[in-house]
Amino acid sequence: MVSARTGRGRAFLVERLGREPLQRLAAEKRVPIHRFTLFYFLGGMALFLFVIQIVTGILLALHYRPAPDEAFESVRTIMTELNFGWLIRSAHAWSANLLIGVLMLHLLTTYIMRAYRRPRELTWASGVVLLGLFLAFGFSGYLLPWNRLAFFATRVGTALVGLLPVVGGQLLLWARSGKEVTGETLAQFYAFHVVILPLATLAVLGVHLYLVQHHGMSIPQTVAKERGAAENVPSMAFFPKFLLRDMVGWYVALGLLAALAALSPWELGEKADPFGTPPEGIRPEWYFLFMYESLRQLPPRVLGIEWLNGDVVGVLLAGLAGLVVLLVPLLDWRAAQGWSRPVLNFLAAWAVAAFLIQTAGGLGLLELRLARSALFSGLAAVALWLTWLMGTRLHRSGRLGRDP
Amino acid sequence: MPGPSRFRSRRAWLLGALRAVIGVTVAAVLYPVVRYLQPRSASGARAMETLAPYRVSDLRALEAKGEGPPPFNFGGEPCLVILTPEGEVRAFNAVCTHLQCTVEYRPDLREIFCPCHNGVYDLYGHNVAGPPPAPLKQYKVTLRESAGQEEILISRSV
Repeated sequence: MVSARTGRGRAFLVERLGREPLQRLAAEKRVPIHRFTLFYFLGGMALFLFVIQIVTGILLALHYRPAPDEAFESVRTIMTELNFGWLIRSAHAWSANLLIGVLMLHLLTTYIMRAYRRPRELTWASGVVLLGLFLAFGFSGYLLPWNRLAFFATRVGTALVGLLPVVGGQLLLWARSGKEVTGETLAQFYAFHVVILPLATLAVLGVHLYLVQHHGMSIPQTVAKERGAAENVPSMAFFPKFLLRDMVGWYVALGLLAALAALSPWELGEKADPFGTPPEGIRPEWYFLFMYESLRQLPPRVLGIEWLNGDVVGVLLAGLAGLVVLLVPLLDWRAAQGWSRPVLNFLAAWAVAAFLIQTAGGLGLLELRLARSALFSGLAAVALWLTWLMGTRLHRSGRLGRDP
Repeated sequence: MPGPSRFRSRRAWLLGALRAVIGVTVAAVLYPVVRYLQPRSASGARAMETLAPYRVSDLRALEAKGEGPPPFNFGGEPCLVILTPEGEVRAFNAVCTHLQCTVEYRPDLREIFCPCHNGVYDLYGHNVAGPPPAPLKQYKVTLRESAGQEEILISRSV
Protein backbone atom coordinates (compact mmCIF):
# COMPACT_ATOMS: atom_id res chain seq x y z
CA MET A 1 0.00 0.00 0.00
CA VAL A 2 1.26 3.41 -0.94
CA SER A 3 0.45 5.95 1.72
CA ALA A 4 -1.17 9.21 0.73
CA ARG A 5 1.95 11.14 1.62
CA THR A 6 4.27 9.02 -0.57
CA GLY A 7 1.74 9.31 -3.36
CA ARG A 8 1.77 13.09 -3.08
CA GLY A 9 5.56 13.10 -2.98
CA ARG A 10 5.70 10.98 -6.10
CA ALA A 11 3.21 13.20 -7.87
CA PHE A 12 5.32 16.23 -6.95
CA LEU A 13 8.43 14.64 -8.46
CA VAL A 14 6.69 13.34 -11.58
CA GLU A 15 5.22 16.76 -12.23
CA ARG A 16 8.66 18.36 -12.09
CA LEU A 17 10.94 15.65 -13.50
CA GLY A 18 8.57 13.93 -15.90
CA ARG A 19 7.81 10.27 -16.19
CA GLU A 20 10.53 9.52 -18.69
CA PRO A 21 12.85 7.76 -19.08
CA LEU A 22 13.57 5.85 -15.89
CA GLN A 23 9.99 4.83 -15.27
CA ARG A 24 9.59 3.61 -18.82
CA LEU A 25 12.83 1.67 -18.49
CA ALA A 26 11.68 0.07 -15.26
CA ALA A 27 8.36 -0.85 -16.87
CA GLU A 28 9.79 -2.19 -20.12
CA LYS A 29 13.17 -3.78 -19.36
CA ARG A 30 12.94 -7.56 -19.47
CA VAL A 31 15.51 -10.31 -19.14
CA PRO A 32 15.17 -13.47 -21.28
CA ILE A 33 15.04 -16.81 -19.49
CA HIS A 34 17.04 -19.66 -21.02
CA ARG A 35 19.99 -21.91 -20.19
CA PHE A 36 22.49 -19.03 -20.37
CA THR A 37 20.51 -16.63 -18.16
CA LEU A 38 23.16 -16.99 -15.45
CA PHE A 39 25.57 -15.12 -17.73
CA TYR A 40 23.36 -12.03 -17.55
CA PHE A 41 24.29 -11.55 -13.88
CA LEU A 42 27.97 -10.86 -14.57
CA GLY A 43 27.60 -7.30 -15.82
CA GLY A 44 25.53 -6.32 -12.79
CA MET A 45 28.05 -8.03 -10.55
CA ALA A 46 30.87 -6.00 -12.10
CA LEU A 47 28.83 -2.84 -11.56
CA PHE A 48 28.31 -3.71 -7.89
CA LEU A 49 32.04 -4.33 -7.36
CA PHE A 50 32.82 -1.05 -9.13
CA VAL A 51 30.54 0.78 -6.70
CA ILE A 52 32.46 -0.87 -3.84
CA GLN A 53 35.69 0.36 -5.46
CA ILE A 54 34.35 3.91 -5.57
CA VAL A 55 33.19 3.90 -1.96
CA THR A 56 36.30 2.25 -0.48
CA GLY A 57 38.53 4.32 -2.79
CA ILE A 58 37.02 7.58 -1.56
CA LEU A 59 37.46 6.43 2.04
CA LEU A 60 41.13 5.58 1.40
CA ALA A 61 41.71 8.91 -0.36
CA LEU A 62 40.70 10.72 2.83
CA HIS A 63 43.89 9.53 4.52
CA TYR A 64 46.30 8.66 1.73
CA ARG A 65 49.20 11.03 0.92
CA PRO A 66 50.79 10.64 -2.54
CA ALA A 67 54.46 11.43 -1.92
CA PRO A 68 57.46 9.08 -1.62
CA ASP A 69 58.20 10.22 1.94
CA GLU A 70 54.62 9.83 3.10
CA ALA A 71 52.74 7.35 0.92
CA PHE A 72 53.95 4.18 2.65
CA GLU A 73 53.56 5.75 6.08
CA SER A 74 50.03 6.94 5.34
CA VAL A 75 48.97 3.47 4.15
CA ARG A 76 50.56 2.01 7.28
CA THR A 77 48.54 4.46 9.36
CA ILE A 78 45.39 3.41 7.50
CA MET A 79 46.21 -0.25 8.11
CA THR A 80 47.26 -0.07 11.74
CA GLU A 81 45.89 3.05 13.43
CA LEU A 82 42.60 4.09 11.85
CA ASN A 83 39.49 2.22 12.91
CA PHE A 84 38.76 -0.48 10.33
CA GLY A 85 41.34 1.00 7.96
CA TRP A 86 42.65 -2.50 7.34
CA LEU A 87 39.15 -3.57 6.33
CA ILE A 88 38.64 -0.68 3.91
CA ARG A 89 42.00 -1.19 2.20
CA SER A 90 41.67 -4.98 2.07
CA ALA A 91 38.16 -4.69 0.65
CA HIS A 92 39.45 -2.24 -1.96
CA ALA A 93 42.28 -4.55 -3.02
CA TRP A 94 40.25 -7.77 -2.95
CA SER A 95 37.27 -6.23 -4.68
CA ALA A 96 39.60 -4.97 -7.44
CA ASN A 97 40.80 -8.53 -8.01
CA LEU A 98 37.28 -9.95 -8.00
CA LEU A 99 36.19 -7.19 -10.37
CA ILE A 100 38.86 -8.07 -12.94
CA GLY A 101 37.89 -11.74 -12.67
CA VAL A 102 34.19 -10.97 -13.15
CA LEU A 103 35.00 -8.73 -16.12
CA MET A 104 37.01 -11.51 -17.76
CA LEU A 105 34.11 -13.93 -17.27
CA HIS A 106 31.72 -11.29 -18.58
CA LEU A 107 33.86 -10.94 -21.71
CA LEU A 108 34.12 -14.69 -22.21
CA THR A 109 30.40 -15.39 -21.71
CA THR A 110 29.45 -12.52 -24.01
CA TYR A 111 31.72 -14.09 -26.59
CA ILE A 112 30.13 -17.50 -26.07
CA MET A 113 26.61 -16.06 -26.43
CA ARG A 114 27.80 -14.11 -29.47
CA ALA A 115 26.04 -11.10 -28.04
CA TYR A 116 28.40 -8.73 -29.91
CA ARG A 117 26.67 -9.35 -33.23
CA ARG A 118 24.91 -6.56 -35.06
CA PRO A 119 23.68 -4.13 -33.74
CA ARG A 120 25.69 -4.56 -30.51
CA GLU A 121 29.23 -4.12 -31.86
CA LEU A 122 29.77 -0.91 -29.93
CA THR A 123 28.47 -2.46 -26.71
CA TRP A 124 31.23 -5.06 -27.07
CA ALA A 125 33.89 -2.50 -27.98
CA SER A 126 33.00 -0.23 -25.05
CA GLY A 127 33.14 -3.28 -22.76
CA VAL A 128 36.64 -4.18 -23.97
CA VAL A 129 37.73 -0.57 -23.42
CA LEU A 130 36.31 -0.79 -19.88
CA LEU A 131 38.35 -3.93 -19.22
CA GLY A 132 41.44 -2.05 -20.40
CA LEU A 133 40.57 0.86 -18.09
CA PHE A 134 40.18 -1.47 -15.12
CA LEU A 135 43.53 -3.11 -15.86
CA ALA A 136 44.99 0.42 -15.87
CA PHE A 137 43.26 1.02 -12.52
CA GLY A 138 44.94 -2.10 -11.18
CA PHE A 139 48.36 -1.11 -12.48
CA SER A 140 48.22 2.50 -11.28
CA GLY A 141 46.76 1.58 -7.89
CA TYR A 142 49.50 -0.97 -7.32
CA LEU A 143 52.20 1.72 -7.02
CA LEU A 144 50.35 3.89 -4.51
CA PRO A 145 51.44 2.07 -1.26
CA TRP A 146 55.05 2.76 -2.38
CA ASN A 147 56.39 -0.56 -1.15
CA ARG A 148 59.24 -2.61 -2.64
CA LEU A 149 56.92 -4.83 -4.64
CA ALA A 150 55.02 -1.85 -6.05
CA PHE A 151 58.20 0.00 -6.96
CA PHE A 152 59.70 -2.82 -9.00
CA ALA A 153 56.38 -3.85 -10.51
CA THR A 154 56.03 -0.30 -11.79
CA ARG A 155 59.60 -0.15 -13.02
CA VAL A 156 59.14 -3.38 -15.00
CA GLY A 157 55.63 -2.51 -16.20
CA THR A 158 56.67 0.89 -17.50
CA ALA A 159 59.87 -0.55 -19.00
CA LEU A 160 57.55 -2.70 -21.12
CA VAL A 161 56.01 0.43 -22.61
CA GLY A 162 59.52 1.60 -23.41
CA LEU A 163 60.08 -1.46 -25.57
CA LEU A 164 57.58 -0.35 -28.21
CA PRO A 165 59.31 0.49 -31.47
CA VAL A 166 59.77 4.17 -32.42
CA VAL A 167 57.51 5.77 -29.78
CA GLY A 168 58.71 3.64 -26.83
CA GLY A 169 61.35 6.03 -25.48
CA GLN A 170 59.01 9.01 -25.37
CA LEU A 171 56.13 6.92 -23.96
CA LEU A 172 58.42 5.65 -21.19
CA LEU A 173 59.29 9.22 -20.22
CA TRP A 174 55.61 10.08 -20.12
CA ALA A 175 54.58 6.95 -18.26
CA ARG A 176 57.13 7.62 -15.51
CA SER A 177 56.97 11.36 -15.78
CA GLY A 178 60.76 11.23 -16.01
CA LYS A 179 63.55 8.78 -16.66
CA GLU A 180 63.15 6.79 -13.45
CA VAL A 181 60.29 5.77 -11.16
CA THR A 182 60.23 8.65 -8.65
CA GLY A 183 57.83 10.80 -6.66
CA GLU A 184 56.78 12.37 -9.96
CA THR A 185 55.65 8.94 -11.12
CA LEU A 186 53.74 8.44 -7.89
CA ALA A 187 51.95 11.79 -8.25
CA GLN A 188 51.08 10.99 -11.85
CA PHE A 189 49.81 7.49 -11.06
CA TYR A 190 47.72 8.95 -8.25
CA ALA A 191 46.17 11.49 -10.62
CA PHE A 192 45.38 8.71 -13.08
CA HIS A 193 44.02 6.41 -10.39
CA VAL A 194 41.69 8.88 -8.68
CA VAL A 195 40.83 11.45 -11.37
CA ILE A 196 41.55 10.55 -14.97
CA LEU A 197 40.64 6.85 -14.99
CA PRO A 198 37.45 7.27 -12.90
CA LEU A 199 36.18 10.04 -15.20
CA ALA A 200 37.04 8.04 -18.32
CA THR A 201 35.46 4.92 -16.82
CA LEU A 202 32.24 6.71 -15.90
CA ALA A 203 31.99 8.11 -19.42
CA VAL A 204 32.59 4.77 -21.18
CA LEU A 205 30.42 2.95 -18.63
CA GLY A 206 27.63 5.43 -19.36
CA VAL A 207 27.84 4.60 -23.06
CA HIS A 208 28.03 0.86 -22.31
CA LEU A 209 24.97 0.90 -20.03
CA TYR A 210 23.02 3.14 -22.38
CA LEU A 211 23.67 0.71 -25.24
CA VAL A 212 22.62 -2.26 -23.11
CA GLN A 213 19.31 -0.54 -22.30
CA HIS A 214 18.86 0.70 -25.85
CA HIS A 215 19.25 -2.71 -27.48
CA GLY A 216 17.86 -4.83 -24.66
CA MET A 217 19.38 -8.15 -23.63
CA SER A 218 20.78 -10.20 -26.48
CA ILE A 219 19.30 -13.67 -26.95
CA PRO A 220 21.72 -16.34 -28.22
CA GLN A 221 20.90 -17.45 -31.77
CA THR A 222 20.70 -21.12 -30.80
CA VAL A 223 18.11 -20.35 -28.10
CA ALA A 224 16.05 -18.23 -30.48
CA LYS A 225 16.22 -20.98 -33.12
CA GLU A 226 15.00 -23.65 -30.73
CA ARG A 227 12.00 -21.50 -29.85
CA GLY A 228 11.34 -20.64 -33.46
CA ALA A 229 11.95 -16.92 -32.91
CA ALA A 230 13.51 -14.59 -30.36
CA GLU A 231 10.03 -13.31 -29.46
CA ASN A 232 9.04 -16.76 -28.22
CA VAL A 233 11.81 -16.93 -25.63
CA PRO A 234 10.23 -16.42 -22.19
CA SER A 235 11.44 -13.49 -20.10
CA MET A 236 11.05 -11.89 -16.71
CA ALA A 237 10.67 -8.26 -15.73
CA PHE A 238 14.01 -6.70 -14.82
CA PHE A 239 12.32 -4.60 -12.17
CA PRO A 240 11.83 -6.02 -9.63
CA LYS A 241 12.30 -9.72 -10.47
CA PHE A 242 15.76 -9.80 -12.02
CA LEU A 243 17.05 -6.99 -9.84
CA LEU A 244 16.10 -8.96 -6.73
CA ARG A 245 18.05 -11.93 -8.07
CA ASP A 246 20.95 -9.57 -8.84
CA MET A 247 20.86 -8.40 -5.24
CA VAL A 248 21.13 -11.96 -3.96
CA GLY A 249 24.34 -12.26 -6.00
CA TRP A 250 25.62 -8.95 -4.67
CA TYR A 251 24.90 -10.00 -1.12
CA VAL A 252 26.91 -13.19 -1.64
CA ALA A 253 29.73 -11.13 -3.18
CA LEU A 254 29.68 -8.76 -0.21
CA GLY A 255 29.97 -11.73 2.14
CA LEU A 256 32.83 -13.20 0.12
CA LEU A 257 34.58 -9.84 0.12
CA ALA A 258 34.20 -9.43 3.86
CA ALA A 259 35.51 -12.96 4.43
CA LEU A 260 38.53 -12.40 2.17
CA ALA A 261 39.33 -9.03 3.73
CA ALA A 262 38.97 -10.37 7.27
CA LEU A 263 40.76 -13.70 6.80
CA SER A 264 43.45 -12.44 4.47
CA PRO A 265 44.05 -8.70 4.93
CA TRP A 266 46.09 -7.14 2.13
CA GLU A 267 49.79 -6.98 2.99
CA LEU A 268 51.78 -3.79 3.06
CA GLY A 269 55.33 -5.15 2.75
CA GLU A 270 58.39 -2.96 3.21
CA LYS A 271 58.87 0.61 2.07
CA ALA A 272 60.30 1.05 -1.42
CA ASP A 273 64.01 1.78 -1.75
CA PRO A 274 64.88 2.91 -5.29
CA PHE A 275 68.44 1.63 -4.82
CA GLY A 276 67.51 -1.58 -3.01
CA THR A 277 66.71 -4.99 -4.42
CA PRO A 278 63.30 -6.44 -5.37
CA PRO A 279 61.63 -8.68 -2.76
CA GLU A 280 62.07 -12.44 -3.01
CA GLY A 281 59.61 -14.20 -5.28
CA ILE A 282 58.38 -10.95 -6.82
CA ARG A 283 55.41 -11.49 -9.12
CA PRO A 284 52.46 -9.39 -10.22
CA GLU A 285 48.75 -9.74 -9.47
CA TRP A 286 47.14 -12.87 -10.93
CA TYR A 287 45.69 -11.08 -13.96
CA PHE A 288 49.14 -10.01 -15.14
CA LEU A 289 50.79 -13.37 -14.38
CA PHE A 290 50.38 -14.64 -17.95
CA MET A 291 52.37 -11.64 -19.18
CA TYR A 292 55.01 -12.07 -16.46
CA GLU A 293 55.47 -15.77 -17.26
CA SER A 294 55.68 -15.10 -20.99
CA LEU A 295 58.35 -12.46 -20.39
CA ARG A 296 60.30 -14.97 -18.32
CA GLN A 297 60.09 -17.57 -21.08
CA LEU A 298 60.77 -15.38 -24.11
CA PRO A 299 64.45 -15.58 -25.09
CA PRO A 300 66.56 -12.45 -25.60
CA ARG A 301 66.61 -13.16 -29.34
CA VAL A 302 63.62 -14.85 -30.93
CA LEU A 303 64.64 -17.59 -33.42
CA GLY A 304 68.23 -16.43 -32.94
CA ILE A 305 67.58 -13.25 -34.91
CA GLU A 306 69.72 -10.42 -33.60
CA TRP A 307 67.18 -7.56 -33.79
CA LEU A 308 64.15 -9.65 -32.83
CA ASN A 309 64.07 -8.97 -29.08
CA GLY A 310 61.89 -11.42 -27.13
CA ASP A 311 60.23 -8.78 -24.98
CA VAL A 312 59.40 -6.58 -27.93
CA VAL A 313 57.76 -9.61 -29.55
CA GLY A 314 55.87 -10.31 -26.32
CA VAL A 315 54.62 -6.74 -25.95
CA LEU A 316 53.58 -6.53 -29.59
CA LEU A 317 51.79 -9.91 -29.42
CA ALA A 318 49.91 -8.81 -26.28
CA GLY A 319 48.90 -5.60 -28.04
CA LEU A 320 47.79 -7.58 -31.08
CA ALA A 321 45.74 -9.93 -28.90
CA GLY A 322 44.01 -6.94 -27.30
CA LEU A 323 43.25 -5.53 -30.73
CA VAL A 324 41.81 -8.86 -31.92
CA VAL A 325 39.53 -8.97 -28.86
CA LEU A 326 38.39 -5.40 -29.53
CA LEU A 327 37.66 -6.21 -33.17
CA VAL A 328 35.80 -9.50 -32.60
CA PRO A 329 32.52 -8.11 -33.99
CA LEU A 330 34.35 -7.15 -37.21
CA LEU A 331 36.15 -10.49 -37.49
CA ASP A 332 32.83 -12.30 -37.07
CA TRP A 333 30.96 -9.99 -39.43
CA ARG A 334 28.52 -12.67 -40.61
CA ALA A 335 27.43 -13.53 -37.07
CA ALA A 336 23.97 -11.98 -37.53
CA GLN A 337 23.33 -14.32 -40.47
CA GLY A 338 24.14 -17.29 -38.25
CA TRP A 339 27.40 -18.35 -39.95
CA SER A 340 29.60 -20.49 -37.73
CA ARG A 341 32.95 -19.08 -36.53
CA PRO A 342 35.42 -22.01 -36.33
CA VAL A 343 38.63 -19.98 -36.73
CA LEU A 344 37.63 -17.40 -34.14
CA ASN A 345 36.48 -20.15 -31.77
CA PHE A 346 39.84 -21.86 -32.10
CA LEU A 347 41.67 -18.59 -31.39
CA ALA A 348 39.43 -17.98 -28.38
CA ALA A 349 40.04 -21.51 -27.08
CA TRP A 350 43.77 -21.00 -27.57
CA ALA A 351 43.71 -17.65 -25.78
CA VAL A 352 41.87 -19.17 -22.81
CA ALA A 353 44.19 -22.21 -22.70
CA ALA A 354 47.34 -20.08 -23.02
CA PHE A 355 46.08 -17.68 -20.34
CA LEU A 356 45.42 -20.56 -17.92
CA ILE A 357 48.71 -22.36 -18.64
CA GLN A 358 50.83 -19.21 -18.44
CA THR A 359 49.06 -18.14 -15.24
CA ALA A 360 49.77 -21.57 -13.72
CA GLY A 361 53.39 -21.13 -14.82
CA GLY A 362 53.54 -17.69 -13.25
CA LEU A 363 52.25 -19.15 -9.99
CA GLY A 364 55.04 -21.73 -10.10
CA LEU A 365 52.62 -24.65 -10.54
CA LEU A 366 54.16 -25.48 -13.91
CA GLU A 367 57.76 -25.17 -15.02
CA LEU A 368 57.65 -24.90 -18.79
CA ARG A 369 59.78 -23.47 -21.51
CA LEU A 370 58.25 -21.37 -24.23
CA ALA A 371 58.00 -24.12 -26.87
CA ARG A 372 56.26 -26.50 -24.44
CA SER A 373 53.90 -23.77 -23.26
CA ALA A 374 52.90 -23.08 -26.85
CA LEU A 375 52.51 -26.78 -27.59
CA PHE A 376 50.44 -27.57 -24.49
CA SER A 377 48.18 -24.55 -24.90
CA GLY A 378 47.74 -25.50 -28.55
CA LEU A 379 46.75 -29.06 -27.61
CA ALA A 380 44.41 -27.81 -24.89
CA ALA A 381 42.90 -25.42 -27.41
CA VAL A 382 42.24 -28.25 -29.89
CA ALA A 383 40.60 -30.28 -27.12
CA LEU A 384 38.47 -27.32 -25.99
CA TRP A 385 37.54 -26.53 -29.56
CA LEU A 386 36.50 -30.12 -30.35
CA THR A 387 34.44 -30.31 -27.16
CA TRP A 388 32.69 -27.12 -28.13
CA LEU A 389 32.04 -28.39 -31.66
CA MET A 390 30.70 -31.72 -30.40
CA GLY A 391 28.58 -29.94 -27.82
CA THR A 392 26.91 -27.68 -30.36
CA ARG A 393 26.42 -30.62 -32.79
CA LEU A 394 24.86 -32.77 -30.08
CA HIS A 395 22.75 -29.89 -28.96
CA ARG A 396 21.54 -29.18 -32.47
CA SER A 397 20.65 -32.82 -33.01
CA GLY A 398 18.57 -32.68 -29.83
CA ARG A 399 20.54 -35.31 -27.92
CA LEU A 400 21.43 -32.85 -25.18
CA GLY A 401 18.80 -31.36 -22.94
CA ARG A 402 16.73 -28.44 -24.11
CA ASP A 403 15.33 -25.56 -22.20
CA PRO A 404 12.38 -26.38 -19.98
CA MET B 1 24.47 44.08 -57.74
CA PRO B 2 26.58 41.16 -56.64
CA GLY B 3 25.45 37.86 -58.13
CA PRO B 4 24.72 34.71 -56.07
CA SER B 5 28.19 33.35 -56.88
CA ARG B 6 29.80 36.31 -55.15
CA PHE B 7 27.65 35.69 -52.09
CA ARG B 8 28.71 32.10 -52.05
CA SER B 9 32.37 32.93 -52.30
CA ARG B 10 32.01 35.55 -49.56
CA ARG B 11 30.30 32.99 -47.37
CA ALA B 12 32.99 30.44 -48.20
CA TRP B 13 35.63 32.97 -47.25
CA LEU B 14 33.91 33.75 -43.97
CA LEU B 15 33.51 30.06 -43.14
CA GLY B 16 37.15 29.47 -43.96
CA ALA B 17 38.15 32.37 -41.72
CA LEU B 18 35.93 31.05 -38.94
CA ARG B 19 37.50 27.59 -39.17
CA ALA B 20 40.96 29.12 -39.18
CA VAL B 21 40.19 31.14 -36.05
CA ILE B 22 38.78 28.06 -34.31
CA GLY B 23 41.84 26.08 -35.36
CA VAL B 24 44.24 28.72 -34.08
CA THR B 25 42.31 28.98 -30.79
CA VAL B 26 42.39 25.20 -30.29
CA ALA B 27 46.10 25.14 -31.08
CA ALA B 28 46.74 28.05 -28.69
CA VAL B 29 44.95 26.16 -25.92
CA LEU B 30 46.54 22.79 -26.66
CA TYR B 31 50.12 24.00 -27.09
CA PRO B 32 50.79 24.93 -23.45
CA VAL B 33 48.91 21.81 -22.29
CA VAL B 34 51.04 19.51 -24.42
CA ARG B 35 54.20 21.33 -23.37
CA TYR B 36 53.12 21.07 -19.73
CA LEU B 37 52.69 17.31 -20.11
CA GLN B 38 56.23 16.94 -21.45
CA PRO B 39 58.33 15.38 -18.67
CA ARG B 40 61.19 17.45 -17.36
CA SER B 41 64.58 16.56 -18.80
CA ALA B 42 66.78 14.78 -16.30
CA SER B 43 69.11 17.04 -14.38
CA GLY B 44 72.48 17.12 -16.08
CA ALA B 45 74.53 16.69 -12.94
CA ARG B 46 75.44 13.00 -12.96
CA ALA B 47 78.11 11.86 -10.54
CA MET B 48 81.18 10.64 -12.38
CA GLU B 49 82.57 8.78 -9.42
CA THR B 50 81.56 7.75 -5.94
CA LEU B 51 82.88 5.94 -2.93
CA ALA B 52 81.14 2.65 -2.12
CA PRO B 53 79.52 2.70 1.35
CA TYR B 54 81.63 -0.28 2.38
CA ARG B 55 85.23 -1.45 2.22
CA VAL B 56 86.74 -4.64 0.82
CA SER B 57 86.85 -6.11 4.32
CA ASP B 58 83.05 -5.64 4.58
CA LEU B 59 82.61 -7.55 1.32
CA ARG B 60 84.71 -10.39 2.73
CA ALA B 61 82.65 -10.52 5.90
CA LEU B 62 79.43 -10.63 3.87
CA GLU B 63 80.79 -13.33 1.59
CA ALA B 64 81.68 -15.44 4.60
CA LYS B 65 77.97 -15.33 5.48
CA GLY B 66 77.08 -16.27 1.89
CA GLU B 67 75.50 -12.90 1.18
CA GLY B 68 76.01 -10.35 -1.56
CA PRO B 69 76.41 -6.66 -0.67
CA PRO B 70 73.35 -4.40 -0.99
CA PRO B 71 73.33 -2.08 -4.00
CA PHE B 72 73.75 1.67 -3.46
CA ASN B 73 73.05 4.91 -5.30
CA PHE B 74 75.59 5.92 -7.94
CA GLY B 75 74.41 8.92 -9.94
CA GLY B 76 70.72 8.05 -9.64
CA GLU B 77 71.07 4.36 -10.49
CA PRO B 78 71.72 1.35 -8.26
CA CYS B 79 75.31 0.12 -8.31
CA LEU B 80 76.41 -3.43 -7.44
CA VAL B 81 79.89 -4.20 -6.12
CA ILE B 82 81.08 -7.81 -5.96
CA LEU B 83 84.15 -9.54 -4.60
CA THR B 84 84.93 -12.50 -6.86
CA PRO B 85 86.23 -15.77 -5.39
CA GLU B 86 89.60 -14.82 -6.93
CA GLY B 87 89.61 -11.71 -4.75
CA GLU B 88 88.91 -9.19 -7.49
CA VAL B 89 86.48 -6.33 -6.87
CA ARG B 90 84.14 -5.48 -9.75
CA ALA B 91 81.35 -2.92 -10.01
CA PHE B 92 78.32 -2.90 -12.28
CA ASN B 93 75.27 -0.84 -12.98
CA ALA B 94 72.74 -3.04 -11.12
CA VAL B 95 69.89 -2.30 -13.52
CA CYS B 96 68.97 -5.51 -15.34
CA THR B 97 69.18 -5.08 -19.11
CA HIS B 98 65.92 -7.01 -19.47
CA LEU B 99 63.20 -4.89 -17.83
CA GLN B 100 65.17 -2.70 -15.41
CA CYS B 101 64.79 -4.66 -12.20
CA THR B 102 67.74 -4.52 -9.80
CA VAL B 103 70.10 -7.50 -9.90
CA GLU B 104 71.78 -9.12 -6.88
CA TYR B 105 75.01 -11.04 -6.28
CA ARG B 106 74.75 -14.69 -5.23
CA PRO B 107 78.19 -15.71 -3.95
CA ASP B 108 77.17 -19.35 -3.39
CA LEU B 109 76.12 -19.79 -7.04
CA ARG B 110 78.87 -17.48 -8.38
CA GLU B 111 76.36 -15.53 -10.40
CA ILE B 112 74.57 -12.22 -10.60
CA PHE B 113 70.84 -12.84 -10.58
CA CYS B 114 67.72 -10.85 -11.43
CA PRO B 115 64.79 -12.11 -9.33
CA CYS B 116 62.12 -10.50 -11.50
CA HIS B 117 62.35 -12.84 -14.50
CA ASN B 118 65.22 -15.17 -13.51
CA GLY B 119 67.92 -13.52 -15.59
CA VAL B 120 71.49 -14.73 -14.91
CA TYR B 121 74.81 -12.93 -15.47
CA ASP B 122 78.30 -14.25 -14.82
CA LEU B 123 80.75 -12.40 -12.61
CA TYR B 124 81.94 -10.35 -15.58
CA GLY B 125 78.38 -9.10 -16.05
CA HIS B 126 77.83 -11.13 -19.21
CA ASN B 127 74.25 -12.26 -19.70
CA VAL B 128 74.44 -16.07 -19.68
CA ALA B 129 70.88 -17.35 -19.08
CA GLY B 130 67.29 -16.20 -19.04
CA PRO B 131 65.81 -13.26 -20.86
CA PRO B 132 68.42 -10.45 -20.48
CA PRO B 133 69.47 -9.31 -23.97
CA ALA B 134 72.74 -7.55 -23.07
CA PRO B 135 75.54 -7.56 -20.46
CA LEU B 136 75.49 -5.31 -17.38
CA LYS B 137 77.30 -2.02 -17.70
CA GLN B 138 80.62 -2.26 -15.86
CA TYR B 139 82.25 0.54 -13.88
CA LYS B 140 85.90 1.13 -13.16
CA VAL B 141 87.02 0.17 -9.66
CA THR B 142 89.96 1.76 -7.87
CA LEU B 143 91.09 0.48 -4.49
CA ARG B 144 92.95 2.79 -2.16
CA GLU B 145 94.43 2.88 1.33
CA SER B 146 95.73 -0.07 3.31
CA ALA B 147 95.57 -3.62 1.98
CA GLY B 148 92.61 -5.63 3.24
CA GLN B 149 90.86 -2.43 4.38
CA GLU B 150 90.73 -0.72 0.99
CA GLU B 151 88.10 1.83 0.15
CA ILE B 152 86.30 1.15 -3.12
CA LEU B 153 86.16 4.04 -5.58
CA ILE B 154 83.75 3.59 -8.49
CA SER B 155 83.98 5.67 -11.67
CA ARG B 156 82.12 5.71 -14.94
CA SER B 157 85.01 5.48 -17.41
CA VAL B 158 86.08 1.86 -17.77
